[in-house]
Amino acid sequence: MLLEPQKRISERALPVWRITGAIYSIFMLLLCGGTTGLTLIFDWPIWIIAIAALVLIVFVYLMIFLLPTIRWRRWRYEVREQEIELQQGIFITRRTLVPMIRVQHVDTVQGPLLRKYKLATVTVSTAATVHEIPALELDEAEELRVFISKLARVADEDV
Amino acid sequence: MFEPKRLHPITAMLNALKMFKELIIPFLLIVVFGSRGSGMGLLPLIGVGVVLLIIIASGIISWLRYTYRIEENELRIEYGLFVRKKRYIPFERIQSLDFSEGLLHRPLGLVKVKVETAGSNGLEAEAVLTAITKNEANEIHDILQKSRANGRIDPSLEAEDVPELEEEVLYKITMKELLLLASTSGGVGVVISAVFAFIFQFEEIIPYETVFHEIKEIISSGVVFVSILVFLGFALAWIVAVVGMILKYGNFILKKVDDDLIITRGLLEKRQLTIPLNRIQGIRISENLLRQPLGYASVYIESAGGSVGDTEGSSANILPFIKKTRIRDIIEENIPGYIVSNEVTPAPKRALKRYIIRGTLILIPVVPICLYFFQLWGLLTLVFLPFLALWGYLCYRDAGWHLEGNQLKLSYRSIVKNTVLMQKNKIQSLSMKESHFQRKRDLATIGATVMSGLSGAGGSVVDLEEEDVLTIYHWYSRDEKSAG
Repeated sequence: MLLEPQKRISERALPVWRITGAIYSIFMLLLCGGTTGLTLIFDWPIWIIAIAALVLIVFVYLMIFLLPTIRWRRWRYEVREQEIELQQGIFITRRTLVPMIRVQHVDTVQGPLLRKYKLATVTVSTAATVHEIPALELDEAEELRVFISKLARVADEDV
Repeated sequence: MFEPKRLHPITAMLNALKMFKELIIPFLLIVVFGSRGSGMGLLPLIGVGVVLLIIIASGIISWLRYTYRIEENELRIEYGLFVRKKRYIPFERIQSLDFSEGLLHRPLGLVKVKVETAGSNGLEAEAVLTAITKNEANEIHDILQKSRANGRIDPSLEAEDVPELEEEVLYKITMKELLLLASTSGGVGVVISAVFAFIFQFEEIIPYETVFHEIKEIISSGVVFVSILVFLGFALAWIVAVVGMILKYGNFILKKVDDDLIITRGLLEKRQLTIPLNRIQGIRISENLLRQPLGYASVYIESAGGSVGDTEGSSANILPFIKKTRIRDIIEENIPGYIVSNEVTPAPKRALKRYIIRGTLILIPVVPICLYFFQLWGLLTLVFLPFLALWGYLCYRDAGWHLEGNQLKLSYRSIVKNTVLMQKNKIQSLSMKESHFQRKRDLATIGATVMSGLSGAGGSVVDLEEEDVLTIYHWYSRDEKSAG
């Protein structure tokens, strides 16, 4: 059996993902609220409200509580001398290998939420694919970016 | 060759036609709606006329402004309507010259020359000489060839001493193959969907409600009549597709010249395409449902950069229709490093159930919807069940992988059976996936991506033996640590 990649992403990813989930939940709330309103106005069967409430509860539970936790627990990465290995996925676990010599450039990206929590996302691009390591501590992300670009530069195999 | 030259005057017309093609839909709209508005009178038509004049004038001016010359081992092009642009392309950067001949080119003995460099993106060539005479084109080609050879061999060599390039015809389509190719292609579907897309584009203009009303009356006048109409429609679409394919792939020839593969094809419009061997990223052999039982397949090459294949992205169809047994010789002898064999490790038996379930899954949302609309008749959709199950079985049967030296072979079916050959050092990234249910049965999915033009291509096989997937994963991993 293959060893899992060792490093985890920052624990502060959890609140960020929960907040994002909460933002999505607001949209869901509007949708379900609208449905409930229409049901009351037009006298549609009452079970529609029940379903809307149920959908909302399940959605909120998944988006704010369950999914971020699983996602965080599953996320692993490891940057080795010759390759980057990522593991991610909620229902489907995906493990990806990206050889250093295939890396074309590395970016760090930081949205307003991530900035507030002093986190950053590192994206690694090859000629054909883009890979993302979300929510790393700021200095860790910076270190990683420098590290990967240094290693990637050493490689001189052709495309 | 050193003084600036203009392209053939027909270029002015080609330029104008190209601009006109882009504007044709707005023009039609103006003509259709403009004539209805009462207050405007002839104004819209005059507007169209003025625009036409501008187009023609700019076609002529851009022809006048466009010059090319060869100087100091560079192809130098100057052009531009308002902003004058100069583009100097050093010979060493030129990867290929592709000649094509459109309908207007052929009677005049002209060619269109596309200059490809490594840097040209997937969308357009680095430079295009819209129309020059064949002699001029050959002259450019020879100069380029000589200067390259000189640079490579010995700068002191006389240009005349350059050894002739090896040229070898690898494949030439026969009449029988062309006809079979055309009639077994998936082009019919494309034509039909294009017609649909076209119809829905004009939703606003065509009064569908009245049309549908009339259709309703036609339908009530007899099912037989309607079925005949539908059948005729399909037959027509099929004929259009067949003729289209014959025009496109007529005279198809694959040649190997030096280190390049060169494709020429087309009955009316002649096109040429050059693929340098060292730009090849992967090979895909695909067999559609009609060709597979006949033992025929077509072979595509994924290549990096260059505006390979104008419309079909960056996959170049190098062997459009060929007996499967012939593929091996052509590929192995001419494209170094690739191995074509029948050896394959299939998906394990226990994956079959998952393949069949996945195939029939589409019915789950369809059946209730049909039940709702057609009541009990909706159950008729269950007729599709065995077909979908069969499709699932075919997907299962065609799934497989094989490792041979530096090469990973993945074979899988969506609708067409694809076999992808990729070399380890060309694979950009590799991933394995495992869902909860797969893990319970020790199954996993493998996927690999190679570069193709600006984006990626590759393949992925579902539900292989987990151990096999790990074997591939280890094979690709470069750090021994992970193998621990």
